[in-house]
Amino acid sequence: MTPSEFLAFRSKMRTLSLGALTAMALGVAAMEPTTAFAAPSVADMTQMLQVVDDRQENNGDFKSLVYLEQKEAGKADLVYQVAVYRRDQDDKLVLLFLMPKEQAGQGYLRVDNNLFFYDPSVGKWERRTERERIGGTDSNRQDFDQSRLHEEYTPAFVAEEKLGNYTVNHLVLTALPNADVGYPVVHLWLDEATGNVLKRQDLAESGKLMRTSLYPKWEKAFSATKKADVYYAREIRIYDEIEKGNQTTIVIQSLDLSALDDSIFTKAWLESKSR
Amino acid sequence: MRIFAGTRVLFQIALRNLIQARRRTGVLFLAVGTVTAMLVLLQAMSAGINDNMVTAATTLSAGEINVAGFYKVTPGSAAPIVTNAAAVRKIVEENTPGLDYTLERHRSWGKAVSETGTVQTGLTGIIPKQEDRFFHTLQLAKEKDYVEGGRDEVIGDPRQLSEPHTVVLFANQAKRLGVKVGDVITYKTETQVGRANTLDLKVVGVAKDLGLLSSFSCFTQKETVLELGQLDPDTTGAIWVYLKNIDDAPAVMAHLREVLTAHGYRLMDYNPNPFFFKFEDVQGEDWTGQKLDLTLWKDEVSFLSWVIIAFNTVTWFLTSILVAIITIGIMNAMWQSVRERTREIGTMRAVGLSRVQTLLLFMAEAVLLGLGSTVAGSGVGVVISLAVDAANIHVPIEAMASILLSDRIHLSVKPGTVVAAIGFLTTFTGLSALWPAIRAALLQPVKALAHVE
Repeated sequence: MTPSEFLAFRSKMRTLSLGALTAMALGVAAMEPTTAFAAPSVADMTQMLQVVDDRQENNGDFKSLVYLEQKEAGKADLVYQVAVYRRDQDDKLVLLFLMPKEQAGQGYLRVDNNLFFYDPSVGKWERRTERERIGGTDSNRQDFDQSRLHEEYTPAFVAEEKLGNYTVNHLVLTALPNADVGYPVVHLWLDEATGNVLKRQDLAESGKLMRTSLYPKWEKAFSATKKADVYYAREIRIYDEIEKGNQTTIVIQSLDLSALDDSIFTKAWLESKSR
Repeated sequence: MRIFAGTRVLFQIALRNLIQARRRTGVLFLAVGTVTAMLVLLQAMSAGINDNMVTAATTLSAGEINVAGFYKVTPGSAAPIVTNAAAVRKIVEENTPGLDYTLERHRSWGKAVSETGTVQTGLTGIIPKQEDRFFHTLQLAKEKDYVEGGRDEVIGDPRQLSEPHTVVLFANQAKRLGVKVGDVITYKTETQVGRANTLDLKVVGVAKDLGLLSSFSCFTQKETVLELGQLDPDTTGAIWVYLKNIDDAPAVMAHLREVLTAHGYRLMDYNPNPFFFKFEDVQGEDWTGQKLDLTLWKDEVSFLSWVIIAFNTVTWFLTSILVAIITIGIMNAMWQSVRERTREIGTMRAVGLSRVQTLLLFMAEAVLLGLGSTVAGSGVGVVISLAVDAANIHVPIEAMASILLSDRIHLSVKPGTVVAAIGFLTTFTGLSALWPAIRAALLQPVKALAHVE
């Protein structure tokens, strides 16, 4: 993608999925529990979470081109194009910034539960926390990484609700004591028909709502290694609930599930991209 | 005795010469005196900034010695806490020579958020009943200093920090957040294990700014910081050690390092920087558990040392230029004096004044002129400094207040620096007359007597 195509895509993104988002926004207002519904057991809910996780997992590798935009009140918008490389089996993740030019070559590498950041302008690696705001946006490593909800949280049922036109199961997830997660409590709205996450709310230890994420568009791609479809949220919109007006948009522009070279998940590879 | 008497005569002649050449002496006196007054003023300002830094630093940011540290649950995390704080504090108190008292400060780092703004700042937890010095140093700002159209009076009471979920902000923070006393802000941070946490804190006071330091911290009670970080009550951010003599701090810190190591504590290598500069380094190190970190007060405000260095550099740069100018002026005046008094020099030489005495005569003139003018100039400088300090002048420009580390102009006169200024400028004044004095001493009496202007 050339810089001009990048800018054109950026402007297109501002109108993309407006319909779906409007439906969801209306759905939030119209959200109410439906009646005559038997609450699922914890095992059922764990199964629901496992479905969410398994669908997004790929036995093989995962490469995507991501558009990342951060709007912050009183500040200039941050816009990035990022290449994401994932190897779920080894819990490895690489984020390589491609655009704009000033950030090109910067990147994150996650190996052995450690997240490292590389800045070619200083030629230095720094270890960062798992809660690092990727590129200064409201997104963090977990938004790009494999979903592990059933391993990290204990679910409880809230209600069956309507979210726009969708019938959803509203679950509340509480983090397991040793889980390395940024938010201790998560509210999740799962589409009853497809099992996909439509909405997520992350809460602080204090119970305060920190951010709301909407997933208006899910797509799937066939994985030869998994021999099944891999689901991915084509678009995620994250709304900061503390700093009202701050918003992050993540859009997956393209996805490739073919095998990646082992060398990609190394510091040397990331360094070589800026030479 | 003869030498002494001779010197006294020389000084008498020199003094009379100076009085005789009133106009020239007056101009030089004024020039040297003005430079001395300026030097004393600049030094008083530098000392004032230094005083502000020591006061602000040892009240807001650090003890004279800090026993702090990091606790790492995983190699990639770094919580700025000391676990088993009571035991560490006991060891410190029992092993600090010249100890005055100790305090505990609890540290958190995050974002204060209001409806209209955000501020990235540290949140310092205090134990109000132990903090008399803090409450004495912290002065509340008038509401108009942080609210547009606010009242011309001080609102709030920092002692309300004894109530839970309260906060005292600095004026610059309140202004950026658009809040006043009684409003509520949200403080956003992470717990010890890296999970998001927030608390709503009621603003109970807004303090006057203390320069750059007041951009990096605000205050709450200890329990609030523990709650935010989900920390055990027996943890602290830092144990602040105050000594009877602050100058002993480096030696006492070295002693405490040995003592704590002997008690089995792991210590970080000495790094003279504030704790919030160390997060990235600590996160990058492959260890877990507790390590203690000992620093001096000036290490915790090392990022401010450039202010003093820059100010002193400007002071000396200006002084050097002015000294060069007055050196040239005095040299020129002495040349003129030698020329005008060539026949007089010839006469004195003819009646027995030696070359050395001739040289000393001219040097004595310059030294007398220098001494008189620098004493008078420094006197003026001291009076102006004391008057400006007593006037408690408000600094209207925020950036300037940040550099001065106070919203008031504070000048501090140190007798040692005044004496040094007098000595330095008198010496230069004397030396600037050396070459004309040598030329006068080398004049042949016969030629000098025959000299015609």
